[in-house]
Amino acid sequence: MEILATEKLTKKYKRLTALNELDFSIQKGMVFGLLGPNGSGKTTTLGMLLNVIQPTSGIYRWFGKSPTPESRRQIGAILEIPCFLPYLTAVQNLKIIAEIKQCSYQAIDKTLQTVGLYERRDDPFKTYSLGMKQRLAIGAALLSDPEVLIFDEPTNGLDPKGIVEIRELIIEIAQTGKTIILASHLLDEVQKVCSDFMVLRKGEKLFQGKVEDALLNQKTIEVGSPDLAILKNALARFDGIQELTTTDDQCILKTNNEVTTTQIGQFLLEQNIPVNHLVKKEGSLEKEFLNILSEHE
Amino acid sequence: MNRLLKIEWLKLKNYRPFWILMGMYSVFSLSICFGGMAFLTWLKNQGADFNGFNPTMLPMYDFPDIWQNLAWLTSLFKIILAFIVIMSINNEINFRIIRQNVIDGFEKKDWLISKLLLNGAIAGYAVLLVFIGGMITGMIYGHPDSRTSMFVNTHFLVAFFFDVFIFLCFAMLLIVATRKGALLIIGLLMYTVAFEPFLAFFLYDFPRMADEFRQIADFLPVQSLRNLVPFPLKRYGLMEVSDVIPIKAIIIAFGWLVFNIGMTNWVLKRRDL
Repeated sequence: MEILATEKLTKKYKRLTALNELDFSIQKGMVFGLLGPNGSGKTTTLGMLLNVIQPTSGIYRWFGKSPTPESRRQIGAILEIPCFLPYLTAVQNLKIIAEIKQCSYQAIDKTLQTVGLYERRDDPFKTYSLGMKQRLAIGAALLSDPEVLIFDEPTNGLDPKGIVEIRELIIEIAQTGKTIILASHLLDEVQKVCSDFMVLRKGEKLFQGKVEDALLNQKTIEVGSPDLAILKNALARFDGIQELTTTDDQCILKTNNEVTTTQIGQFLLEQNIPVNHLVKKEGSLEKEFLNILSEHE
Repeated sequence: MNRLLKIEWLKLKNYRPFWILMGMYSVFSLSICFGGMAFLTWLKNQGADFNGFNPTMLPMYDFPDIWQNLAWLTSLFKIILAFIVIMSINNEINFRIIRQNVIDGFEKKDWLISKLLLNGAIAGYAVLLVFIGGMITGMIYGHPDSRTSMFVNTHFLVAFFFDVFIFLCFAMLLIVATRKGALLIIGLLMYTVAFEPFLAFFLYDFPRMADEFRQIADFLPVQSLRNLVPFPLKRYGLMEVSDVIPIKAIIIAFGWLVFNIGMTNWVLKRRDL
């Protein structure tokens, strides 16, 4: 089922085109990463999808329909920074949101437990640490048990422990089958959390695809041996290697997906070639991201 | 409607400056109601006499004139209520609450309506204070014979409601348009209590000026609302004071009402949050 689709979504400021004719769609259950350098149009895109920024042109549809306040109530979203009244407590702030989202107050305690703020529920928002503020924002987004969640840079400004906490929380939420849109410039984060991703730069879409597929291209196997020349010769006869490069002390193989380290080990053993290093390297989205950016230079 | 007003209540009920300003206004408003006689007594003790006339004999508290007197006097303090509107909206702009409200499922229109309901509730409270203060002081100090006309001239309470409500909408427009709360509070205070009254006084009373020119004063944003409840105390100088609300004042005030709300809506609609 299609959750979101845009058609030629465009935002122009006086001289700057913040987003240019963006087309993309998101299916139910996706954890969708929105990637791009700072200023690439991520927040602008999300702002338009949430009706707080007026598109210059183009349209978008939530749940297959033109957007309405009702459709927004089925979306939980945080944009950039957590926005709450600082002199109100977590509970008081969430009551306001519950009224706007027209959901019951009963969800408040449960949500605060989910995000680990139940103990601090009666303290004013201004006394919270940045991580707690961010967690409350995620809680507010979860409050009405929405179909879709939008998180814009949810780990911005957090310390490493805070980042891990938020990431684990998002993975937990994703496991409940909700559709999630996660904007971030932290590629590691997207790689760990997302199923799909899209790359934006200067308001242009550069790429959209599955994280898995992108990483597949990146997988390599490293093989080391005392005698690199013999090793290289032998590996050249092995089926399924697409690309073979050598460094000072090892060969780096790009292979078909079926090729395993066991097969290579077995093969080299049969050839009587001593092996002192045999490791499979997972790819990183970072490399793929940089590839995509450089392809469009 | 109820839901929108409830949201305003949730936003304000734990905001201390709201209660402080409400308290200040209530004290000022009630001390105007109850303090008038104390003031006249003080005048008397100072030896003041109005051509052999004892100041405490001034029928300020007689029904039905009391409504116009008290409405005109307490209207001087409505700026305090405008501060509540400015501060609460200023918070919502600074802490990006409007934006989050829209993300959570408000329309900009819902936000505007909730603010109008708040303005209405505050203006209603201001009228209630005058009504209660007027009933009590009228019973105590007013001539007993005047009680038969207790509810005559209560149209000035309705006029006072719109005086306050439209003024609060004016404050709402200014803060939404400028987004500068602190500057606006100082600016509006200076304008309302000093600049515009001086300008209006100048326009109304400066000799040798064309009448068309004098009329400008009737259109000023604050003076036009003051004209809804005309200055009543001249009647104690034995001058004629009208106890009807001038039609012209009603039309101009209505124009400001439409302008204040319409412009706020326009600014909100145009602006990215």
